[in-house]
Formats: sequence, structure tokens, C-alpha cells
Amino acid sequence: MEKVLIDGLSFAAPLFIMAMGGIYSEKSGVTNLAVEGFQGFGAFIGALVAVLLMRRMGDGSQAVIYLAMLAACVGGGLYACIHGLLCVKFRANQVISGVVVNILAVALTTFLTSAVNKQLMGGSQSSNKFILGVSNRFTVPGLSRIPVLGALFRDMYPFELIILVIAVVVWYLMYKTRFGMRLRACGENPQAVDAAGGNVDRTRFLAVMISGALSGIGGICYAYSISANFSPNIYMGYGYLAIAAMIFGNWNIPATAAVCLFFGLAKSGGYQLCLSMGLSSNYSDLFMMLPYVLTLLLLTFFSKKNHPPKAAGEAYDAGKR
Amino acid sequence: MKKAESSHRFAALLDSERWSGITVPILSLLLSLITASILLLILGKNPLVAFLSFLQGSGFVAKSSYGGGAGMLTDFFTFLNVLAPMLLASLGFVVAFRAGLFNIGIAGQMLASGFLATAFIGYSGMSAWAAKPLVILVGAAAGGLLGAFVGFLKYRFNIHEVVSTIMLNYIVSYLTGFFINSKFADPLTRSMKICSNEARLSWTNVQISGMKCSLPLGILLAAIAVVAVKFLFDKTVFGFELRAVGRNPLCARYTGIKVGRRIVAALMLSGILAGLAGVTYYCGYYNTIVPKSLSSMGYDAIAVALLGNSTPIGCIFASILITIFQNGSNYMSSTLGVAKEIASLITGILLLFSSCGGYFRYLAHRKLEEARDKLTAAARAGTETPRNSADGGTKEEK
Amino acid sequence: MEDYIVEMRNITKRFPGVVANDDITIQVRQGEVYALLGENGAGKSTLMSMLFGMYQPDLGEIRIAGKPVRFRSSNDATAHSIGMVHQHFKLVDNYTVAENIVLGVEPMKKAAGFLPCVDMKTANREIAELSKSYGLEVNPTDRIEDLPVSVRQRVEIMKMLYRKAEILIFDEPTAVLTPQEIEFLLKIIDGLRQSGKTIILITHKIEEIRKIADRCAILYRGRLVQVLDVRSTTTQAMANLMVGREVDFNPHKNPADFRGTVLEAEHLVVRNANRFEVVKDVSFRIRSGEIFAIAGVAGNGQVELADAIAGMTHIAGGSVKLCGQDITELPVRARTEAGIAYIPEDRQGMGVFLDFNLGENLALRKYYREPFAKKGILQFRQFETYANDLIERYDIRCGQGRRTPLRSMSGGNQQKAIIAREIEEHAKLVIFVQPTRGLDIGAIENIHRQILAERDRGTAILLVSLELDEIMELADTIGVIYNGELLKVADASTLTSHDVGRYMMGVKES
Repeated sequence: MEKVLIDGLSFAAPLFIMAMGGIYSEKSGVTNLAVEGFQGFGAFIGALVAVLLMRRMGDGSQAVIYLAMLAACVGGGLYACIHGLLCVKFRANQVISGVVVNILAVALTTFLTSAVNKQLMGGSQSSNKFILGVSNRFTVPGLSRIPVLGALFRDMYPFELIILVIAVVVWYLMYKTRFGMRLRACGENPQAVDAAGGNVDRTRFLAVMISGALSGIGGICYAYSISANFSPNIYMGYGYLAIAAMIFGNWNIPATAAVCLFFGLAKSGGYQLCLSMGLSSNYSDLFMMLPYVLTLLLLTFFSKKNHPPKAAGEAYDAGKR
Repeated sequence: MKKAESSHRFAALLDSERWSGITVPILSLLLSLITASILLLILGKNPLVAFLSFLQGSGFVAKSSYGGGAGMLTDFFTFLNVLAPMLLASLGFVVAFRAGLFNIGIAGQMLASGFLATAFIGYSGMSAWAAKPLVILVGAAAGGLLGAFVGFLKYRFNIHEVVSTIMLNYIVSYLTGFFINSKFADPLTRSMKICSNEARLSWTNVQISGMKCSLPLGILLAAIAVVAVKFLFDKTVFGFELRAVGRNPLCARYTGIKVGRRIVAALMLSGILAGLAGVTYYCGYYNTIVPKSLSSMGYDAIAVALLGNSTPIGCIFASILITIFQNGSNYMSSTLGVAKEIASLITGILLLFSSCGGYFRYLAHRKLEEARDKLTAAARAGTETPRNSADGGTKEEK
Repeated sequence: MEDYIVEMRNITKRFPGVVANDDITIQVRQGEVYALLGENGAGKSTLMSMLFGMYQPDLGEIRIAGKPVRFRSSNDATAHSIGMVHQHFKLVDNYTVAENIVLGVEPMKKAAGFLPCVDMKTANREIAELSKSYGLEVNPTDRIEDLPVSVRQRVEIMKMLYRKAEILIFDEPTAVLTPQEIEFLLKIIDGLRQSGKTIILITHKIEEIRKIADRCAILYRGRLVQVLDVRSTTTQAMANLMVGREVDFNPHKNPADFRGTVLEAEHLVVRNANRFEVVKDVSFRIRSGEIFAIAGVAGNGQVELADAIAGMTHIAGGSVKLCGQDITELPVRARTEAGIAYIPEDRQGMGVFLDFNLGENLALRKYYREPFAKKGILQFRQFETYANDLIERYDIRCGQGRRTPLRSMSGGNQQKAIIAREIEEHAKLVIFVQPTRGLDIGAIENIHRQILAERDRGTAILLVSLELDEIMELADTIGVIYNGELLKVADASTLTSHDVGRYMMGVKES
């Protein structure tokens, strides 16, 4: 039971930060299906930095992880510029751009990983993985003694706390600052922002970059917790799960957090169930399916009522009046 | 003046109604090839050798030497074997796209149809006359049902088809993986037991001019599909309504078209094509399925469709092009020593430039407008005629 | 040399395919109400958009208080104390009044001593004070989506006042107001003038200019015709200058000849996406040869009512009968085949496929049956003959005949195509919603003539319009809609426009 809470939270946290990235982009008016690609590319940059640093600082150093997270954040943000350019400047269809960015991310990161590995290890053989190892866990001293819920504070990955802090900052930025107020207006009525003297295109581009940065962090966290490596398997579709979470959360940050937690608990709960029932490892595949099935199921109940930002999905045309 | 003239003509080509369907994709292609060449040069490889080896790998140009029993025709027929499912898959994307829908689930639909056809027909021991048509039927049905399901989810519950098709991709992948590992696994290869030759949609080991080839039945299916899809969209009421729904669902409803039913129909048709691609792929040249792996073809088909300007004829050219890259990548990587992933990288870059296609057209349009305005301004400065609107309706001011 | 506060000299502005402003010079004195009169498409909005910094002129210069200026954005204009109330409000629906007003100039504070934070408390206070001092009666914490149109307009005015604008531009402010709300607005404008503000009023309504403006510049097809003193010019003179010819104010309406009942609506109820009743218990009937006009302020359910009768929206309660046949549950196509034609308000979004060509658009009601389609296969030659016929008879201007992409046609010609297509159905009932919105006088006269011709042919007509003049001119029977209910249904000859205005505001029968 404890394991369910612990694993659930560690899955939910990176999912949540990716979903927040999606919220930023969509609330500014840019439909964002590219979170999958952002997290993959961000994870790639983070893993690359980690591998390079591990050669100098040794394999066991935990500081590498934090630097990798920073690198992933920057990498994701930079890669997101492609989506931003395509959608804001080139007025491409935003759904297509998202899918294109995802496909490109897979191709680019796989190719670059092989190329880099070849350089680093020499010779003709090369792998398409960066081995990272798993992040250490820690336990919060006082709170972890609370019965039942205390498990949430046990065996935490440090990145979960980091994500929490980032979440608060991101929420504040969105709802309490000038930038956030204008960003949200861009997604509802960009004409109003334009008439008020704001720069719609620049705000949207920044929003997309932020969404890339946040997704990159999510990606590297998964690399450090679930896979312990960076490989093409980073593209598990969790980016799309994050988008689905955003839709259920009705583009609202606290609600999306709750949905992500629910996804996480469902996934870890299903896995523990499978273990406790003593089924063969084949059946774990069926339980891996659970998040995706749940997504479809919940979408059937919630899609009708959702209220996406009014101006999302269309490039802003200053000439239209 | 000369420079302005030639750039003017270039812009006119890009923007014209008749030619933009060809010129814009060619421009995207050229830009991608240039980018890829730069990339190759950075890696220290000769781009021309690389492009040549792509062609050699696909059987368009002869290699320097061939292995036992194989020849240029072998490579060419292999190329056709891979082309057939690619063409069918991209047609599937086009059909949905023209109706305004994004079928990202082609890979999953392919897998489902390939799996079901192998499981039910591939092991059944039926004769070729019975097995092959049944495989085609099962493939179409499996894909069509999945497609219709996605359409139903959209129509009834307003679930965006991008999210639902991607979810289904993973669900199908895990589900088939589970069944393969539990029941159908070949102990040696860990992948699905191979499909019987009777049920396979390719005739392998056929001797042509002394070379060992496999003849794809799928290419015939693909050819028929292209003609059928083109006819559907250009000439039929049904195709007109699909296009209408894709362009403006509100006006389609106003016209009396049953939008929901058309959406389901479009996705079902798209699924049928994806299903045909699936059986052509998994029960054709490749006769086994690796558990839990979705073919990249399902996603590359999107690149093909966009590059081909989302038309059936365009798909033919685009799929030939991309299949040359995909197929030739093995040979290219062994000749040049570059990771074979460069093929998918080039595909990705191609996709990037194709999606900018609209922007190229827009830039060209702007340029022509400016040139036209300059001409009218010059004309007006020369004469003093008062300016009248040319037509009866004045420009609307909102 | 007089001192002008705003001078726009020799302004020329071109858009693709049209010269919107052609060498226009206007000079506005401080503290006056200066009107820009012209029909739709004359170039008034474009000119003022440049004053507000939204576009840059191709030629010419702008001077504020004698100094030449270049506005690169509306921020620059605002910095020079210029403000603009747009025809289409630029408001964020799910923000409050205060949030909308301060957007772009948000007051800031430091939360917890150092974090930058938007100070909505101060904003709310300042806005309440501002509203009081100008008599605008606006509550800062209301959400825009809950407010009626006239209040939203006042929020737009406050946007200008909050930024301390001295020069205020109003773009067609009365288009969406009832007569009583117009009175209130004109009073506000008068009050602003008395505070020393300069007002520029863009409009095509001569009556309002007479009531409030000092001087008036008349624009025609992008050029300045004349600047005149309002008090010493007649309405007829202004109208003639605006249109470029002698204007006929008399509608030529034949006497009524009503035959049997064509449309019967009983206790209609229509719900919107939020399950809120936008049409509550509406009953009326329309006879053959009768024009039944629904008057009302925008947003009171009239468009939803029209959509419901046409089949575009589900009818939640009540019934609709066409010549005795119950059509309440019928889908759209069955209704068009039963004899309903619909010319919708949203021309480009609902009435046509912008990406298809003219021939396809003209055949939208016929493409699926003989002779346009045989066994599911389209017969293009039939499309061609039909389109050529309609283009000829309805004078639809198009560059490439039936192959003209609809997107490249002007708004007026797009509307001609829609009307041609629908009228050719020879339906029993034709629904017109805002048929003349945004069109020039020539096109408006033409459409009115077509509507009257249909009436004479015995067609029943349902006319939904926001232009009271149009309703008074055309209607046989008027129904006034308020909050989803028909407050008054009466013979048009028994009502004055002032009466109708009162009902539009919700004043019930005593």
C-alpha cells in the first residue's frame, strides 16, 4: 500500500510539470501536442550533460542530477522554439506542428545519441542509450511518521520537491503577475491584448518556450526514476498523458495536479495489484496499459464539458477585425 | 530589375493555383536535401555519395557487388514491398485529413490488423486462394472498426482524435504484446510465430532474370486504392461531403450534411486503408511481429501525406521518395559509416519543411501583392484618372 | 493658422487590392465633437485606426497639438492621450471589468515585500471612483460575460478614461444599442465634451450626428468629399454627399396581401451550450406574403430562435409547424426540402464554404440530387450551367465565373451569392438574419428590394435585424424579443420606433 503512494507520487510529479507546460502554452492560445517531443529532447540534453559530467565527477555524484535537470530545462526550452516558430511566425497548423515536432524529436535524439556514443566510446559499435543510474531517495523526517499519508513523504525523489517548488512559482507567475495576466488574455481574446499595447506573438512564443522548459524537466525526471537511462523508450506517450490530464483539469493548475496524482496512483496501484496476484511478467503489460485506458475512459466523461481557452488553436492575425 | 523579375516569377510559381501543389513540396524537398547535405558535410561525409547509396539500396542504381542470388531487381522489388504499405498508410492519413481529422493512430491500426490477420488466418493452414483474400478482408475490417471507434468517440463524446488515436496506439501495442508473449511467441526469436506462406501477401523467392525477388501483392492493392480515393474525392457526392466537413463543419451542417456520420465514415475509411497497410506490412515482406513495437511507418506516413500535399497522386511521389530514404538507409550506413537513423532524421527535417509549406505560399502571395501595388501606384502617378472600384460591391468594412 | 489638436494630412493607406484612404486631410479642434460620416467601406475606420496606432499610413503625416508624430503601436497613441472605443469590443470575457480596463497598465504592488504582484484591490478602487465621476454606472468586479452590450461599451469607454485619454475616438458606437441606450450614450459624450475632451465619432447614422456633432467630414470610397458644419446642413444634403447621388428615403412597399398561415411557432424553448434557456416560450405565426420582423438588442435570443427554426439548433420545448406539417424534430435537410430557406448572420462562417468555388457554393442545396448528381456521382456540367444562370440574373461579380474561389469575392458579392442560392429554392419561408450588415447603401437597397419582391410573390419572411430603421421600413408585423421572450407582437403600422425601443429595453406592456 505504501509502495502505491510512493511510486504513484514519483510518477505523478513529472507528469504534472509536463501538464503545467501544456497549460502555459494552451492558455496563451497555442495548441500544444508537442509536449512528448519537448520532454524527450529535454531529457536528451539533460542525459547528455549528465554523461559528460559523470566522466569527470564520477558515477555516484548526485550533483550531476541537479545539473542535468537544469540542462534539460534549457534544452526543452530551446527545442520548443521550433514549435513556437512554426505556430506563431509561420502560422502552421498547430496540431500538425505538434506532431511534426514529436516525430522530429525521436529522430533527432536517436541519431544524436548514437553519434555521441560513438564519439565517446570510439569504434564502430554504438548504442542508442545513455546510462544514467537512478536518483537517490530521501525521507522527510517528521511528516513521514503520519499514518497512511506519511508514506507520501517517504522515499521521495528530490526532484519531487523541486517540482513542487516550481509548481508554486509557475502558478504565481500565471495568476499574480502582469505577464501571466496578459498571457491568459492572449488565449481568450488576443485582439484585446493587441489593443492594450501588448505583443501577442511574443507572449505566445515565450509561453511555448516555458512549456518546453517545464516538459524537459519532466522528461529528465522520468529518465532518472523509471528507466535509469535515456533511450528511445523515453517516448512512452507520457507527454500525451499530460495533455489528457490538462484537459480533465480543465486547464486549471490545482485540478490538473489532482488528476496527475490520480493517474500516478492508478498506475502504481495496478502494478502492485499485478505483483500481489502473482501473475507472470507477461501480465504486467496489461497493467502498463492502465493509464492509457483510463485516459480514454475519463475523456469520454469529461470532454463534452471542457472549456479550452477561446483563442487557442488559431494563429493571431492582426489584420482581422 | 532582372533580380526582381526572376524572384517575381519564382513567387508567382509558388502562389499560383495550378502549380503550387507541386512547387511548394519541391521547395520543401530542396530545402530538406540542402539541410541534410550540410549535416552530412559536418559529419565529414560526401552528401552526393550518400544520396547515391540511398538509390542503390533501393534498387534504382546498381551496386558494386551483390550477395548470393540477389541483384538490382531484388532490391527494387524489396523497395516495392516496403512502398506498398507506406502508400496505403499515407492514403489513410490523407482521407482523414481531407475530412479535417488527424489519424495519428495508423501505426496502431496497422499492428492490430496485422496481428489479427496472422492470428486467425496465418496459422489456419488454408490454401492460398482462400487465405490471401481473407487476410485482406480481416485487415480492412480490423482497421475499419478501430477507425470507426475513434470516429464514434469524437462524434459522441467530443474526444479529440489525436489524443484518442495515440492512446489506442499504446493500448494496441501492449495488448498485442501480451497476447504474442503468452500464446504466439516463437521461442527462438521472441517475436510472433511466422505467418504461413499461403497467407502471406508476398510471393518470396521468385526467380526473375536469375535474381531472387519477392513480389508484393500489396502494390496492386495500393494502386487500386490510389485510384479509388482520387475518384471518391473528386467526383462523388460522398467525397464532396467529406471535403465540406473538413473545411467548415458549421457550414456543412447548414447545408444539411450529417457531420457526425461523415466523421465516423472518414475515420473508418482511413482505418480500412491503415488496416490494408498493416496486412501488407506484417503479412507481406515481413512475416512476423515483434511484440510491443509500433512500426515507425505509421508516423512516417504522416510525413509522406504532408509532403504529398495531402493528395493521392502526391502521396505516390512522396512515398517513393521517403521509401528510398528508409530502404536505402541500411546500405547507406554501411557504405558511409553513418548511423542509419539519419534516414529518419532526414524524414523529420522533410516533415518540418513541409509543414512550413503554407508559409512559403503566404510569403509568395505577399510578395506578389506588393509588386502589384507598386505597379498600380506607378500607373496612378503617371495618369490622373480618378480611382473607381472595379466591381459593384465595395470592400466590406467590418 | 488655427490650432488643431489633431491633424491628419494627406493620408494614403493601401491594402491588397484596394486603396482604403486616398489623400485625406482632416483637422480637429480641441473640445469639439467631430464626426466622420460615410457608408460602409468608405475608409473611416481605417483612418482612425491609424490615428490609434494600429496601422501606419503609406503616405502623409499625423500631427498632435502641432507636433508631427509616428505611432508604431497603440501604446504610442495612448501615450499621446488618444483612446479608441472599437466597434467590435476587445474584451476578455472571463475577466472582470477591472481586469479588462487595467490590462496593459496594471497597477503593481510587492507581495511579501519583494514579489511583483498585480494590485487588483487598488485597481478596483480606482475604477469605482472613475465610474462615479463620469456617471457611467459600472461595477469593477462584474465579469464581462455577465454584462449586457451597452455596459460592455461603457467598459470600453472607461479603458480610455483610465489611461487619461484626451482625444476619444468612437467607432460606430450606436450600432448595437437601443434608442434609449443611444440617448444615454450621447449624454455621456456631451458630458465628456464639457470636461474638455475632444471626441471623434465614426458613424453612418446621420441622425446621431445631428444630435451631438459640431462638424462633420464626409468620406466616400476612400476620399474626403467635404467638411461641413452640422447645424447649417440638412440631413438630405449629408446623405447625398455620403452616397454620391440623390438618396431615396421612401421604401416602395406594396399593400399587404396575406394568405394562409405558413409558419406556426408554439411555446418554443431553445437552450444554449450551458443548458441555459435563451428562448423561453415564444409563440408567433407568419402568413404567406407577410414580413415578420423580430427586433431586439443583440444577445436576446433572436439568432438562436432563427437557428432553431432552420434546424441548426435543437428545439428543447414547443413545436414548429410549416404549412401544417410539424417540423420540430426534422433535421436540416428535411426542413430545406420542406420549404425553408435560411440566410444566416454569419455569412463566412456558416453561409458559404470560403475554400470552395462559387459554382459549388451556389449548388449547396442541390448537389446531392438529380440532375446535379446521378447515383452519387457529381455532374459538373450541371453545376456550370446553374452557376452561370445565377451569376447573370443576380449580378454576382466574380473574377473567374463559377470557378472563382469564394474567399476572393467581396462581402457584398458573397451575400449576393447566398441570397441567390436561397431564393432560388422558392421556399415557403425565407429567414433573413442581419442581411445587410456591413454593406454599402447600394447593396442594402438591392437586398431590401429582393426581400419585398419575395414578399409580393407570397413567400413568408422572418426577418431578424439589429437595425431598427430596416425593421421599420420593411416589416408588416413586428415582434420585440427581450431575454428570450416576445414582449410585444403587433402590426408595424401601430408602432413607432420609440415604442419598439422601449420594448427592446424590457419595458413590458402595462
